[in-house]
Amino acid sequence: MVDPHDRSDRFELIATCEAATLARFANEVLADDPPLSVRQEPRPQLLMQRVEEPVERRPFNLGEILVTPAEVDLAGERGFAMVPGKAERAALSGAIVDAAVAADHERTPAIVSALDDAAARQREQRQRAWAESKHTAVEFETMEDQQ
Amino acid sequence: MGYVAVTAGEEIIERAADLFEKQRLAGDSEGLDVDQLDDQLGRLTAQAMSEGGLYAPRLAALAVKQAQGDTVEAAFLLRAYRSTLERFDETPAVDPGEMIATRRVSPAFKDVPGGQILGATKDYTQRLLDFDLVDGETADPTEEWEVADEGDPERLTTVTELLRSEGLLHEPDEPDVDDPTDTTRESVTHPPDRDAVLQELARGETGAVTALGYSALRGYGQVHPTLAEVRVGRLPVRIEHPYTGDEVTVTHADVTESEAVVPVYEKREDPQFAFGYGLTFGRNERKAIGMTILDASIQLDSDDEPAENAEFVLDTIDGMDSFGFIEHLKLPHYVTFQSILDRIRAIRERKGTAGKGHDDLADEESAERAPVAEANDDG
Repeated sequence: MVDPHDRSDRFELIATCEAATLARFANEVLADDPPLSVRQEPRPQLLMQRVEEPVERRPFNLGEILVTPAEVDLAGERGFAMVPGKAERAALSGAIVDAAVAADHERTPAIVSALDDAAARQREQRQRAWAESKHTAVEFETMEDQQ
Repeated sequence: MGYVAVTAGEEIIERAADLFEKQRLAGDSEGLDVDQLDDQLGRLTAQAMSEGGLYAPRLAALAVKQAQGDTVEAAFLLRAYRSTLERFDETPAVDPGEMIATRRVSPAFKDVPGGQILGATKDYTQRLLDFDLVDGETADPTEEWEVADEGDPERLTTVTELLRSEGLLHEPDEPDVDDPTDTTRESVTHPPDRDAVLQELARGETGAVTALGYSALRGYGQVHPTLAEVRVGRLPVRIEHPYTGDEVTVTHADVTESEAVVPVYEKREDPQFAFGYGLTFGRNERKAIGMTILDASIQLDSDDEPAENAEFVLDTIDGMDSFGFIEHLKLPHYVTFQSILDRIRAIRERKGTAGKGHDDLADEESAERAPVAEANDDG
């Protein structure tokens, strides 16, 4: 079970959440003009994806993944987010949202609810894709005995 | 010989670039949206990402649009972009068995655990043009499907795991590589480590990987594999969270994977199985299979066949390298050519043929040959 109050779980939920939702909550959190410092500007960066080759279990570098990380300090509470692709606004909003939930900001219940919804939608999509794939499962029969 | 720069009017070069841009806009149709390319031409954007070595679907769609569908040019744009970015980190090495597969077929094992899942493919249909697409989109053919609730995706047992569980595949020693070679940061040296080979093949140009893999099948090599499985799915991309230290998932990357079992008994004293592996960004089964054949071939480490020679394969497989070298030939080479002309003129001067045109020389040559012809006629 994914818990938006848990920092690691929250990171994953923020990474999948829509940019517009994150931006809306970030704006609401900043509405009271709390002290905010950006510890890491949201800039596209690279993650080198490493994979373990399955026979020798030898790691190799598959290629790089484009991500955008950001880190903020919001009224003494740090927040960190990383989102896929080139998405500066989503990353900065995500870091603000992360810090707000960590500080138990008054918008936390609404944020948690939105993150839960995002997780549910993602799970639904994943299950739907899996069900569609399973719908194409086939049993091949060899035709050795047939004329 | 060194290179000599040329200069030309910058304005003219800009005009030529403008004319190139105009070609995209010249027709009467609506301009292509990047979202459309991302959504509908996934194979094209996948190829650009795979050859560019950068997983960024939306930017790949942009690159394809900018390059007017030239995949190598699009891959070049992605590589150029990535070269401007910092690297945040390397991910922990992910076990491909964790893939959330949407397609898995095993040509080797009919009853592979987890089943044969065809997924989205037209592999078993005829290649006929669908003229209905000319007049617009057909309806979603899966709309009426009554799909059973299958719950969360299962982790499919891989064929490697199956062979290992039956004792047919040895348990490998702990790999002596913690930090694999990164060919984006250090040049490949020969003989290359296998991790360098896999990385270079993973970002190789699809046509080159296919052609060289095919060469092995056509007799220029010993490898004719049985594919253990081909899988298409999504691999988790993880980092260590800077606050908690937990491994957390940032996103999932679409990949295509291929594994092959290769009997290499022919021409060898020691009959044995070898394995080939292929993994690449996006949906590109042709490339993943070609990579598998080349990985297995290179492990034979022979100079006898092109596909088994790591240096040959890795020197020719990269699209940026081959694109750059081939296409640079159309750039001005005036000094080079002038030098060649000077040399030829000097030789002709020495031989006393300077100033004579082709017709003069031809007359002289036929005059010299005439007695021989006559002799032949007489004979």
